[in-house]
Amino acid sequence: MGIEVDGAPEQGIPEEADRVLRQIEGRRKKYRRNLLISFAVLITLLVTAMIVLKLDFSFMMKWLPFILAGSGYTFLVSVLAITLACILAVVGALGRMSSNPVFNAVATSYVSLIRGTPLLVQVYMWYLALPQIGKALEELGLHGVQAWLTLPAVPAGILALGVCYGAYMTETVRAGIQSIKIGQTEAAMALGMTRGQTMKRVIFPQALRVIIPPVSNEFIAMIKDSSLVSLMGVWELSYRAVKIGRRHFQSLEMLIMVALIYWLMCILLQFVQERIETHMARGDRRV
Amino acid sequence: MSVNISEKKGPVVQAKGIHKIFGNMNHVLRGLDLDVGKGETVVILGASGSGKSTLLRCINFLEAPTAGSIEVDGTLIRADAPANEREAKALEIRRKTGMCFQSFNLFPHMTVLENIIEGPRTVLKQNRKEAEEYADELLDWVGLTDKRGEYPSCLSGGQQQRVAIARSLAMKPKVMLFDEPTSALDPELVGEVVEVMERLAADGMTIIAVTHELHFARDVADRVMIMDGGNWVEEGTPEKIFNNPEQERTKRFLAHIL
Repeated sequence: MGIEVDGAPEQGIPEEADRVLRQIEGRRKKYRRNLLISFAVLITLLVTAMIVLKLDFSFMMKWLPFILAGSGYTFLVSVLAITLACILAVVGALGRMSSNPVFNAVATSYVSLIRGTPLLVQVYMWYLALPQIGKALEELGLHGVQAWLTLPAVPAGILALGVCYGAYMTETVRAGIQSIKIGQTEAAMALGMTRGQTMKRVIFPQALRVIIPPVSNEFIAMIKDSSLVSLMGVWELSYRAVKIGRRHFQSLEMLIMVALIYWLMCILLQFVQERIETHMARGDRRV
Repeated sequence: MSVNISEKKGPVVQAKGIHKIFGNMNHVLRGLDLDVGKGETVVILGASGSGKSTLLRCINFLEAPTAGSIEVDGTLIRADAPANEREAKALEIRRKTGMCFQSFNLFPHMTVLENIIEGPRTVLKQNRKEAEEYADELLDWVGLTDKRGEYPSCLSGGQQQRVAIARSLAMKPKVMLFDEPTSALDPELVGEVVEVMERLAADGMTIIAVTHELHFARDVADRVMIMDGGNWVEEGTPEKIFNNPEQERTKRFLAHIL
C-alpha cells in the first residue's frame, strides 16, 4: 500500500480516510513509545531494588568465575538431554500413532508412566535405584550388569532429563503431526510416495513448524530443571551458588546472580527459536 | 508437448464389481464396473453423496475397495488380497495415476518448482536436472513459468490447481483423475483450469473426471456416466445424456443442475 501518512494525501483518497490513517499511525507510535517506557521503568525498579538491598557487588564479581564454571555442566547436561529427548519424542510420536499394537502399547505406556511420576523421583531412580536393580539381576546370573547399571551422576542426570522430557515432547510432536491436514498425506500418496517418504518429505517438515514454539518451551524448562543434577552432587550452576551463598551468608547475591545467568541462557535460546521460526515461515502468505 | 505415453492397447482402467462399505456399515458403492479406454475422457456426474468421489479414490487406492478389483495399465489389485501385497500394488498403481483434488493440496512448504519435482525426485529417483527440465516444460504448458519460485500461498486458486495438475503430470501418469477440480474456485478462475484440462484431453491423456463443469462434460467428454446411490444410472455420449436421457433419475438430476 502506497499511502503517505506524513505527506500530502494521495490522489483519490478522501480527506476523512487520510485523517483516520493518521490516527491509526499515531496510536501505533504511542503504543511503541509507552511499551519502551514500561520496560525502562521495570529495569530501573530492578536495579534500584538491588541498590536498596545493599547487594555486595564486589562479592558477586569475586565469585562470578567460580559460579560460571558450573555452567559447563548445565550446558552439557541440557544439550545432551535435549538431543535424547528429541529422538525419543519422534520415535514416541510414531509409536503413539502406530498401527503396530506392540509399538503403540510401548509408546503409550512410556508417556503415561513418565508423565505420571515426579521428575525428582525419576532422577533418584536412575542414580540410586538402578544399581539395586543391577544387583538383583547380577544375582540372577547376569554377570557384569551391576557395573553397567551403576551410573555416575552426570550420565544419570542426562538420562533422567532426556527420558522425562522425551515423554512430554512425544505428545507435542504427535499433536504437530496430527495437525497437518489429511489432504497433504493424500497428495503425497497419490504421487506414489511410501508412508515413510510421505512422513519425511511432506508431513514432518510442516509439523516441525507447528511444534517449534512448544518444543522451545520444553527446552527452556529443561535448562532450569538441569539444576536437579545437583541433587547427585554435581557442581553445576545452582549448586555452586547455593554453596557459596550459605557459606558466607550472602545467599541473596548468589541467587540473584545465578538467576540472571539462567535468564540470559534462556533469552539466547529464545533468540534462536525466533530465527528458526522466521526461517520456517517462508511458505506463509505475505501480509 | 505431449503428455500421454501409453504403449498398451485396450482399457487403461478397468474396475470390476467395486463395493465400498465404510466402518459404520455405510454402503457407498454397490458393485460398480468401469472401463476406460486409452485416450478416453469420462465424466462422472451425480448428486453429492452419490459416491462419485469415493469411486475415484478407489481407483488409486486412497480408499481401499471392500470388494471387487481394480486394474490400471496392467497392474491388478483385488480387494481381498493380503494387506502387504495390496499396499505394494497400490504404490504401483498410484505411480501410474495422477490425481487432482478439490482443495489442490499443494505442499505449502515447497515452492512451485519444488512441488512439481517432488514426485520425480523422491519416487522416481530422478536427478535434479532431469526433473527440473521436465518441470519447466510443464510450467510452460500450464502457463505459470513466472511463478516457478513462488510459494503456493502467493498463488490464486486457479494457479494453484494448474500447478497441482503439473505436479501430477510430472510423474508421466497413464491416467488422470480429477476430483471436482474447480469446485473450490471463484467463478472467474474456473475457466483457466478447465482450459488446461481440455488441452490435456486433446493431447490424448486418459481422463476420469468428477466435475460439475457442464461445459467440460458437454464439449470434451467422450462419455458421461450418471451415478446415484452408489449405482450407475445411465451412461452415453454427452449428446445422448444431455439431449435424450432415458432414465427418469437422469432427467431429474439434469433438471437440477442445468
